[in-house]
Amino acid sequence: MSDFNKINIISLTYFKRRLLSTRMVIMLPILILFIPGMAWGFSDPNIVLPGGVQPSSATEVMFYTSLGIVFGGTMCGVLLSFDGVSKDRASGVLEIKLSQPMLRKQQSTAIILGHWFSILVPTWILWLISFIIVNYRIGDWPSLMDGIISFSAVALILLWYVLFSLVASTYAKEQGTSIAFGVGVWFLFTFLWALVTTMVAFASGVSIGEENDPKWVNLEGLLDLFSPNGVFHHLLETRLEDVDRGVSPILSFLAALLWSIIPWYWFNSRMENIQP
Amino acid sequence: MSEVVLELNDVAFRHQIPSPRLLNPFEKKPGPGIFSINLTIHKGQILGLVGPNGAGKTTLLRMLAGIFPIDKGNIMFAKSNSLDLAKISQTDLRSIVGHMPEQVRWQGKISVRNALTDIAEMRDATHRVDGILKMVGLGDIANSSLDQLSQGMRQRLTLATALLGSPKVLLLDEPFNGLDPVAIRAFEKLLYQLTAKGVSIVISSHRVAGMVHLVDRLALLHQGQLLIEGTLHDIETEFDLSNRIEIAGKGQIPNFERITGNEDSVIESNESDGNWSVILRSTDDHILKKLVQSDHHILSCKSKEIDIVEMLCAATGQNLDEIGFGVIASSMMPYRSRGEEE
Repeated sequence: MSDFNKINIISLTYFKRRLLSTRMVIMLPILILFIPGMAWGFSDPNIVLPGGVQPSSATEVMFYTSLGIVFGGTMCGVLLSFDGVSKDRASGVLEIKLSQPMLRKQQSTAIILGHWFSILVPTWILWLISFIIVNYRIGDWPSLMDGIISFSAVALILLWYVLFSLVASTYAKEQGTSIAFGVGVWFLFTFLWALVTTMVAFASGVSIGEENDPKWVNLEGLLDLFSPNGVFHHLLETRLEDVDRGVSPILSFLAALLWSIIPWYWFNSRMENIQP
Repeated sequence: MSEVVLELNDVAFRHQIPSPRLLNPFEKKPGPGIFSINLTIHKGQILGLVGPNGAGKTTLLRMLAGIFPIDKGNIMFAKSNSLDLAKISQTDLRSIVGHMPEQVRWQGKISVRNALTDIAEMRDATHRVDGILKMVGLGDIANSSLDQLSQGMRQRLTLATALLGSPKVLLLDEPFNGLDPVAIRAFEKLLYQLTAKGVSIVISSHRVAGMVHLVDRLALLHQGQLLIEGTLHDIETEFDLSNRIEIAGKGQIPNFERITGNEDSVIESNESDGNWSVILRSTDDHILKKLVQSDHHILSCKSKEIDIVEMLCAATGQNLDEIGFGVIASSMMPYRSRGEEE
């Protein structure tokens, strides 16, 4: 069996186990509520968002629906993968796995892919359903490119959170630490990042929260490159014509690349040196 | 002597332990481990690893299983149809070795068969799953969930994972934990069957009494060092533990110094309620005859059985009567220096 096939088979095993787990049964209603639920709400023809904003196209509605990914999808990604390594380590099964004639790099790749796809597949299905709901409600489809960017951005943000959780899982020797780290990172980027942005703006002498102040908008855009949620929105904003936060699409794609490569490499190197 | 399968040459590994400093709170320094181990594993033989807690038995097994890297030295392997030894990479080592770790807590709702298949996929051995489950006695409960397994059944499943790749060397870390006496007998029988097929087995166990009849060779480890390795007879001779006779009798205790003609012949003697027992060091085959002829009432006379604890104490310099729970005591100083001091 080739190395590629072996990785596929092992990742498929992780995928099936996670997808059919009790955890997924608990989280599925949350995902349904957050993703198609938000798409239904934001595609209401009479909706007026704070600031008098009225989404006018399917791409714009899906941009707002992406909040469901940020709040629900990423959290489910964390909860699915927080014990990706630590559970096996605590039970002793990791020692058996590490003694198999399969390169650790291949094992870590299979772990990443298995966990990532287990949250990605249901999320993508719900994301597709959301597109259909939006079309049903406002009679508009995003362009093919908008769709590709949208699906890719969803895949990437889920990958990033899965990677953070898995990295944490390699450090944690018991489940509590592992879940605390995973949820902590999720909490930081989902809720506390606004505080970080505010503090940096204050220290830089930029007026805080002034949406008409280009300095604030640019600073917020720049700092968002250091947050996975921010990069996710930067990617989606590349398809919105009337949004300019001073960050070029190339920079957004580069940030997305770095957010993918660095934690992936980190996890691989952790697995290379991990001890049972 | 049978051919060598694996050879460890000056192999060393040290665990990295945290040593936080003000400027580098994550700094680590070399901690305990194993030091310059030279060991050979012979085809179709059972090697017992024995040592006090913290001696490095599990670390050594994990190195042999390709889990821990080798800091120094190398491991050589005799490829099939060749007596020449060649260096072996960690991945290749893992392909010829089956490792059974200590106390794996299998849990979850997945079935026994699926749990084993998960591991088998990493070895391209899915076709062997059912056969091995049958071999370790789990064939009838292959569809039961892991949560339903008893400790002994979990041990069997762990053994099954070790047997998946038709290993040339089987590493067993405390394999008897949780097994009932009947299962232990069946387990030993399985080990003999495997050795008959040419599988070499390295077994680490605290059940030292049970190891005597099981192992062909013994390696005594202490504080990360290999104190001695050889057959039980070799080690007995090395530590002057051979040629000992246990005699028990009634009435007056005989004057063994006079009978044997050796002042130091009595190693241990006990008297109570008119009965006595002694342990003698003697090569005299006629000692029983001499005792009976001198009108002593003898109840039993037999060779003293091999006692691995005694060997361990002799090797570590510990007194058998003074054994305590202390893991590292001054009386347990190594036999020889590590040659790698802090």
